[in-house]
Amino acid sequence: MPAATNRQLAVRLAVGRALGRTRDLDDVYSAALDTLAECLDVSRASVLLFDPDGVMRFKAYRGLSSEYRAAVQGHSPWTPDSVDAEPLLVPDVTREPSLASYLPVFVRERIAALAFIPMVSLGHVIGKFMLYYAAPHAFEDEEVQLVGVIASAVAFAVERGRTHEGSRRSDSPHGFEPNASVIGPWEWAVTPGAPAEHLGGLPSGTLRQVRQCDIESDRDCLKILGLDGRLLYVNPAGVAQLGAEDSRALVGRRWVEFWQEKDHEVVEQAMARARAGTIGRFQRPTRTLAGVMKWWDVAVMPIVDAGGVVVQLKAVSRDVSAQWRTEAFQAGQHQVLEMIATGAPLAQVLTLLVHVIEDQCEGMVCQALLLDADGSHVRLGAAPSLPEEFSRRFDGQPLGPRIGACGTVMQTGRTVIVTDIGHDSPWPDLRDAALSIGLRACWSAPIFSSKKKVLGSFAMFSDTARGPHREELRLLETAADLAGAAIDHHRSQEALRQSEERNRAILRAIPDWMFVLSNDGVYLDCHVKNPGALLVPPEVFLGKSMRDILPPSLAEVFERAFERARTTNEPERIEYSLDLQHERRFYEACIVRCDSDKLLSIVRDISDRKHAELDAAAQRQELAHLNRVLILAEQSGALAHELSQPLAAILANAQAARHLLDRTPLDLEELRETLDDVIKSDKRAGMVIHRLRELLKKSSAVLQPLDVNEVTREVLDLTHSDLLLRRMPITTALSPDLPPVLGDRVQLQQVILNLVINACDAMSTVEPAERELKLTTVADDECVQIAVSDRGVGIPDGHLDSVFDPFVTHRPDGLGLGLAISRSIVMAHRGRIQAENNPDRGATFRCFLPLANGTADVSIGMNSVVAMMSPG
Amino acid sequence: MTDAGPLNLSIVDDDEAVRTALRRLLRAMGHEVRVYASAEEYEARATAADCLIVDLRLPGLNGFELRERLQSRGSQIPIVFITGDGGPSPSDATAHAGTPTVAKPFSEGDLIAAITRAVSSETNIH
Repeated sequence: MPAATNRQLAVRLAVGRALGRTRDLDDVYSAALDTLAECLDVSRASVLLFDPDGVMRFKAYRGLSSEYRAAVQGHSPWTPDSVDAEPLLVPDVTREPSLASYLPVFVRERIAALAFIPMVSLGHVIGKFMLYYAAPHAFEDEEVQLVGVIASAVAFAVERGRTHEGSRRSDSPHGFEPNASVIGPWEWAVTPGAPAEHLGGLPSGTLRQVRQCDIESDRDCLKILGLDGRLLYVNPAGVAQLGAEDSRALVGRRWVEFWQEKDHEVVEQAMARARAGTIGRFQRPTRTLAGVMKWWDVAVMPIVDAGGVVVQLKAVSRDVSAQWRTEAFQAGQHQVLEMIATGAPLAQVLTLLVHVIEDQCEGMVCQALLLDADGSHVRLGAAPSLPEEFSRRFDGQPLGPRIGACGTVMQTGRTVIVTDIGHDSPWPDLRDAALSIGLRACWSAPIFSSKKKVLGSFAMFSDTARGPHREELRLLETAADLAGAAIDHHRSQEALRQSEERNRAILRAIPDWMFVLSNDGVYLDCHVKNPGALLVPPEVFLGKSMRDILPPSLAEVFERAFERARTTNEPERIEYSLDLQHERRFYEACIVRCDSDKLLSIVRDISDRKHAELDAAAQRQELAHLNRVLILAEQSGALAHELSQPLAAILANAQAARHLLDRTPLDLEELRETLDDVIKSDKRAGMVIHRLRELLKKSSAVLQPLDVNEVTREVLDLTHSDLLLRRMPITTALSPDLPPVLGDRVQLQQVILNLVINACDAMSTVEPAERELKLTTVADDECVQIAVSDRGVGIPDGHLDSVFDPFVTHRPDGLGLGLAISRSIVMAHRGRIQAENNPDRGATFRCFLPLANGTADVSIGMNSVVAMMSPG
Repeated sequence: MTDAGPLNLSIVDDDEAVRTALRRLLRAMGHEVRVYASAEEYEARATAADCLIVDLRLPGLNGFELRERLQSRGSQIPIVFITGDGGPSPSDATAHAGTPTVAKPFSEGDLIAAITRAVSSETNIH
């Protein structure tokens, strides 16, 4: 929204500049088309006006063939009598039935979409503005508003241009361009020192060439001055323009006294030039005797005698107030727009606007009222020329009769003209107040937002009871339009400011750090409450690339996350750690795309949580170790058996070898076999010890891709003799070609071991013939499942979940750690474990482990168990 | 070598390495040796022997059960238990019922002493 109003202001300024430079209507059209191409990137457009016969005719165009212009000439959705004309948008000409007859023309001209923008002056359509597109075009509101701004500026310029052209045509042809050749015929033969005898008329005796008629009938103010600068003669037009009764009030006075004191020097200089035989010119404002401020364009010329000696001066002053006002209005308008654009307070902008309008019409005062955002109360916008006790009457009032005409304007959205407050006003209270300060007429127009919402009213008060003339009505419209732009801009700025304030408040409230980075990883901005906690202070990293700031491996992690966030448009999360001076800190970053070329990285320090996790992991590790020690204690018999078997074989073989050595001849073959068997058995014993050591070791977890079947077989090897001893017949159904899982070998062995021991325990009271221990592995797209089922006593009702709680056991001699440890290990592997009773008998424990591929974040779960994997 | 000279010995052990090593040792000492991987195999293929060396821990029938079977069928073959672990404690008189038992790993001396004891006690009883 702020961007939109800024763009609107930019267009207004551009069009104002372009139109302000020129008076010629063709230039106006051209400027408008330029602005269109420049601001809206529309290369094909045209301006059409109703001619006096009411036919719409091309005045200017870009990129249209003569065939096309001929084919559509005269087509118009509106007539000169149309009021309230709205833009007509045709996003796709093939879908617009009313234009079906023109379709072949459009096709030939490669026009797929077009827009009719009415040009309205004083409520009536005077012409239209056309935009043409080569492809179907979805029109945006803003686009249409901007074209509307250009169209109304052009309408204003057209009206002004027509007035100007009209007045130029009525000017006298030799007009006001004094030059040497013109001076000749104006020569005067004056008897030096002879006073003017007929003060009311021309000093006839002194004229050598009589141009009396010209002089007397000249529409400009024409004066003859003595060399001393005193007035000798003023023509009738001059007497009238200066607001004098007759020339007697003027003649004999020093001309310079008619000017403001600060301009005296300029006036004297012009007279000096004339005395020197050339023409002196200047433009200055001054008040008439009647007190009206007027702008004059003045030329002072010498009058010479027959001998060429300057004897008198002629001063021709033209009232250029109207022209000056137009220029002042242009400049004023421009100034108002610039004030809006530079974000000046609304009251100041409106005050300037009121002054600009008031300067345009003598005797008028203006007032801008604003409608509150709630739409029911009125605020004073600006009324610098009205007495405060009058203008204050409106401020804070509810919309209603106390607001007078302006209230009606705001309620109806229509202009209201009160020609005589004394007679017409239905608001007696307000009427008396207005009359008491000399206001006799009130003309008020609604101020609209760019979205046609009423924002307030702009009123002009006249000191005479009358209606506005055309020019004044147009001023009123323009003022309301400018006020609308100002209020729109102000409100959007206000909304932006509030939202920024809100954002700042939110930023203040959240502890997270925020970094804005360009797509290629350059830090653009940051919000950090405690910069001291950063790796480097903001002034060091702002403007630099991540690659220069972060450790290379971490920068790479971020770059990959950026890439994903950019392409998927979804938030990306990463966890990482950094080694600061005294400690390792852990962070979580959430990366989202913002704008098309930036990324927002929201970083949270999760060190506390992480440390707690690590502590918990350490505890879990301790418990897991304890669990393993207990398992081994329980299994000591089986383990002793596992060791004693190879040791027995070794000893027997060694002793057999000794006997073999005593024999003659030596059976070397037998001896070699014996020694080979010794080696084999020794290795077997070594393996058992190795596994024992593994289980007893308090090592950190090592993540690696594991074949669950292999891990299962290792567990079975270890428990083989125990199962045998305890008469636990075991069957396995291991799916071939299991995909690997990412895990720690010892920890997963421990899980399976616990489940096997648990199953055996559950069957200890069951007849050996009834027992069955079954291990199954199976995989799907996401997980590998290990199932251990028994035909034991099953799990009591309601304990399916609690079996995993620590110290919950149904065995007299167990600590109840096995299943709890198993669950924590499985969860650290991002897996899950569940228990269920079999339909017929016993229970099955299922453990699901995610596959190694596509589970990159297993490391996050495990990094509490594993040494931290993140860079830093 | 036992006092009784070369003996005819049968070994039941499910562990191939142990089986092979014992057979090798006892043969090197001059005895006749037959080996069986399980109690069931022994029962199926048994031939007359001076002494039966049985591992306590076996798949299927274990050492005790084999002994019971044999005794219930009236066999008086002298038996030596070998064991790789505690299992039922060797000192458990009820379980062992006087059957000499040696724990793995054992030396040839221990084994021969146990065999001698088994054979002689058998002789003494009967």
